[in-house]
Amino acid sequence: MAIVSFEKVSKDYLTDGQRVHALDDITLEIERGEFVALMGRSGCGKSTLLNLAGAMDFPTSGNVVLDGVTTSALKDAGLTCLRREKVGFIFQSFQLLHTLTVFENVELPLLLAGKPKARDAARERLDWVELDGLGDRYPHQLSGGQMQRVGIARALVQSPAILLADEPTGNLDTITGNVILGLLKRLTRELNTATIMATHSAEAGALADAVVRLRDGKIGEIGRR
Amino acid sequence: MGRLFLFYRLMIRPLLKEPVRAALTIFAVTLGVAVVLAMDLAGNAATGSFRASMETLAGDNDLEIVASGGVPEAIVGSLATLPYYIRISPRMEDSAVLADSNQTLPLIGLDLVAEANADGGGRALVTSSDKTFETNEDTIRQLQKADSIWVGASLGKKLGDRVRLLINDQVREFTVRGVYPDSNGSESAVVMDLATAQRALNRFGSVDRILLNVPEPPALDEWEQRVRAILPTGVEVRAQGTGTIENRRMLAAFRWNLQLLSYIALIVGAFLIYNTISVSVVRRRPETGIVRALGASRNAVLVAFLGEAAFFGVTGALFGLPMGRLMASGAVKLMAATVESLYVSSRPGAIALSAWSVALAFVIGVGVAVVSAYSPAREASLVSPVEAMARGRREYNTRVHKSRDLLLALVLAIAAAGASRAPAMQGKPVFGYLAAILLVAASALAVPAFTDAILSQSSRWLGKVLGVEALLGSQSLSASLRRTSVLVGALSTAIAMMVSVGIMVGSFRETVLIWMNDRLPADLYLRPAGAPAPDRHPTVSLELADKISKLPGVAGIDRLRAYEISLDGMPATLASVDLSAFRRDNQSSFLSGRPTAQVLAEIRDSKAVLVSEPFTYKHHVRAGDSITFSLGAARPSFRIADIYYDYGSERGTILMDRQTMLRYLPDPTPSNLAIYLMPGTSLEAARNEILQASSGYRVLLASNRDLRAEAIRIFDRTFAITYALEAVAVIVAVMGVAGALLALVIDRRREIGLLRFLGASAGQVHKQILVEAGLLGLLANFAGLALGFALSLVLIFVINKQSFGWTIRFHWPVAVLLGAISVVYAATVLSGLYPAQVAVGLNPLEAVHEG
Repeated sequence: MAIVSFEKVSKDYLTDGQRVHALDDITLEIERGEFVALMGRSGCGKSTLLNLAGAMDFPTSGNVVLDGVTTSALKDAGLTCLRREKVGFIFQSFQLLHTLTVFENVELPLLLAGKPKARDAARERLDWVELDGLGDRYPHQLSGGQMQRVGIARALVQSPAILLADEPTGNLDTITGNVILGLLKRLTRELNTATIMATHSAEAGALADAVVRLRDGKIGEIGRR
Repeated sequence: MGRLFLFYRLMIRPLLKEPVRAALTIFAVTLGVAVVLAMDLAGNAATGSFRASMETLAGDNDLEIVASGGVPEAIVGSLATLPYYIRISPRMEDSAVLADSNQTLPLIGLDLVAEANADGGGRALVTSSDKTFETNEDTIRQLQKADSIWVGASLGKKLGDRVRLLINDQVREFTVRGVYPDSNGSESAVVMDLATAQRALNRFGSVDRILLNVPEPPALDEWEQRVRAILPTGVEVRAQGTGTIENRRMLAAFRWNLQLLSYIALIVGAFLIYNTISVSVVRRRPETGIVRALGASRNAVLVAFLGEAAFFGVTGALFGLPMGRLMASGAVKLMAATVESLYVSSRPGAIALSAWSVALAFVIGVGVAVVSAYSPAREASLVSPVEAMARGRREYNTRVHKSRDLLLALVLAIAAAGASRAPAMQGKPVFGYLAAILLVAASALAVPAFTDAILSQSSRWLGKVLGVEALLGSQSLSASLRRTSVLVGALSTAIAMMVSVGIMVGSFRETVLIWMNDRLPADLYLRPAGAPAPDRHPTVSLELADKISKLPGVAGIDRLRAYEISLDGMPATLASVDLSAFRRDNQSSFLSGRPTAQVLAEIRDSKAVLVSEPFTYKHHVRAGDSITFSLGAARPSFRIADIYYDYGSERGTILMDRQTMLRYLPDPTPSNLAIYLMPGTSLEAARNEILQASSGYRVLLASNRDLRAEAIRIFDRTFAITYALEAVAVIVAVMGVAGALLALVIDRRREIGLLRFLGASAGQVHKQILVEAGLLGLLANFAGLALGFALSLVLIFVINKQSFGWTIRFHWPVAVLLGAISVVYAATVLSGLYPAQVAVGLNPLEAVHEG
């Protein structure tokens, strides 16, 4: 069974009275362990699709089913639980809290969920992303690549079913970006999560198991290895 | 015009996008302006423009002749023999109570025939420009009837009405023979013929005042000399209205203190404007950089932010004007009641919203706003275009010079300690106020270091105890230290004023309670019915006093008598106690600490007197000094044997033995009686007997306990306006916290959105904001308590002492303080509710993907 599926999903926004069709009749299934790249020009609907997959937003029509749960059937409390259990987010601009240490940033989702042994889990995830030893530093003491690894560790701390990455290498140089992509690919395989990554990067596309090209809110083509 | 348009677009229109926050800031300024304006207007009406009740119908005379205990009637004759054309108006001045309504009115006895005939008879007697007695033969006939009175129109009486008046301790019936037009209903009096008044008051052979209208030339000084030449010792001549001027001077300290208290709300408002403009500066850094890059000068940026502050000031003043006028109506009633209780019987003047008051409102509103905004505005003007437009610099943390400011705080605190030791300047505790301001400034400078120390030490502990929301909340406050410090500073200042005044009033109350133990040794106290006032001393009939003294169960009575005198240009009270009668004295209440019996023995039937503590402060005398004042037909000197604590009045009192007073002022009727009962006598039974003996007289009989309760009630009412001012300051501060938290939420929307992405529920976001509000409240409470304690010392031992001369024993009103602080804390937490709602309502998608 697909870990996340889009069933004839459309999404419209109202911006200053104007209706914008962000997504139009998308049907797509993503399996566990798949590393999927969403590609397309700016404004084609990549981020919208990620937000729907992460239960941060609802489709205007159609259904998004995340690990067997239709997201539109849930209220806020249910969505919060679903996100905590199933979804990890990775952002282009890292989005770390500058007042927290690396350890504290990584364990934050566990603390919000009230789960025990958060520090142990954080330590393990930092190990996965090869940042052990930097747990007591603050974000402003890290390089861009290191900050993104912290972001990845944080996204993985709850052992999510899917990882959603919005331009994870957008703020990094090529070499660092490639390292991050390699890390994501490896973790996807090892942890059997599904990773959906919105990207402009050709290197990311080359690494992906499937490339979904979006054009004006529609799926243009899907290329699978 | 273009610049104004630009100003509107860049600075004002953005404010409209946050209407709640803008409204909170404007309301804070509005309240501050309203309170200051209200106290100014009420102060003018209650103390500045008041006229002592006895100035009613005083007309346009030039000089007045006065003497303690009354001016001998013979003086009128002496004046009449002067070879000059002067108008002589002898007056009896006292008070009467309308028996039906208990309304107290001035009672004025005039030589109405002489007044009517002054211009040849049959012509209107003009007493002032708007008060006229129409005289005719019928009126003159009425004058000769013993029950004739004239009243002001505002009393609603008509010709022929019968009116029952309580004068001293007896009710008599009078007939209204005429009604005169009194202006604005506040100067109504009961007017009777001089002889009638003397009979009603049982005071013969003297009048209370003689008013003189003299022609010019020569000048008034010359007239004073001419008149003084024929007056006996003890009788003085002075400019008419001197009494009013003396009273106004006496009230100056009271008014001055209240006025300064009203500025607290403004100071708190100043903190909030500073915070608002600081937030505005930080948010607009990119825009500021762009505008500078496009050619705006540093000065233009400075003026723009000052203009934003001025906008708040002007808008606040516009709303503050009507609000202040409204608040003044309530304030004047409270102030007038205090003036009446502690100083002098008077009617407040009308509240006048003059051009000056309007100007004051705008100067205060705009001035405080602009001054508060100067520092952040200047900071904005120094931003270079490159720095402000740097990409990726989402957050700019203003440097907070904690160590430097802490050092400065220490310097200011030391300066405050020094200032508090300086003496008063012309009776005003100027250095005391300076010490208070320095303490507030020191506290404001110390708050960042204090806040940072507490938050950094406690955030992780808070996280463990209250959850991750508390950790995030405390760290968020710590990360924006400058904003947090300003908020804590504002709220703690308001709390400090509340604490300091609470301690001062609590200490004062406790001191008064202890003092009353010593000062009220008798079992029962009797006085004429009617509202008491420090300058009104109606008398008890001699027969009644004698009757009561002979009752079984009564061990003895102390006949107390008081008069109003003037000394060194200030009103004072001259009182006597009967040291030859039975007494039961409690512990010493004298500054020397000597036993009461010893001190009283020294003044028994001698030329030694006791003076009250406020008297010594006003007249700069001490024990052992000599004071000289007019007393009857003499001008004797008395040695001050000791000084006693007196919290009943701020006027200043000279106390002598009754036998000594009778030598100069032979009227034996007492003002009130202190009644001592035989041991074992039932209080209720004695009370009933006395009331029975007093039937036919209108008197009030109060037990020792009742009197204390009444005294405390008046005390509490006196401070009602102080409590109101504090409450306003706290409201302003709490609203400021709400507005600032809202700003913090909006500025942290990215972070709040991120938390939602990471799995935070709406409840958790809500909790974090409330924790922040709670932390602000807690920090402010601690800082406020510390500052409040320091301020209370200045209030009690410097400002109060130098203003009024009272010694107050320090006392912690723990229950009251705890209650008040709890309420403020709860209000602060509740002020976080709306910002918390806003935080929960933020769209995380927009928040995270912004910029």
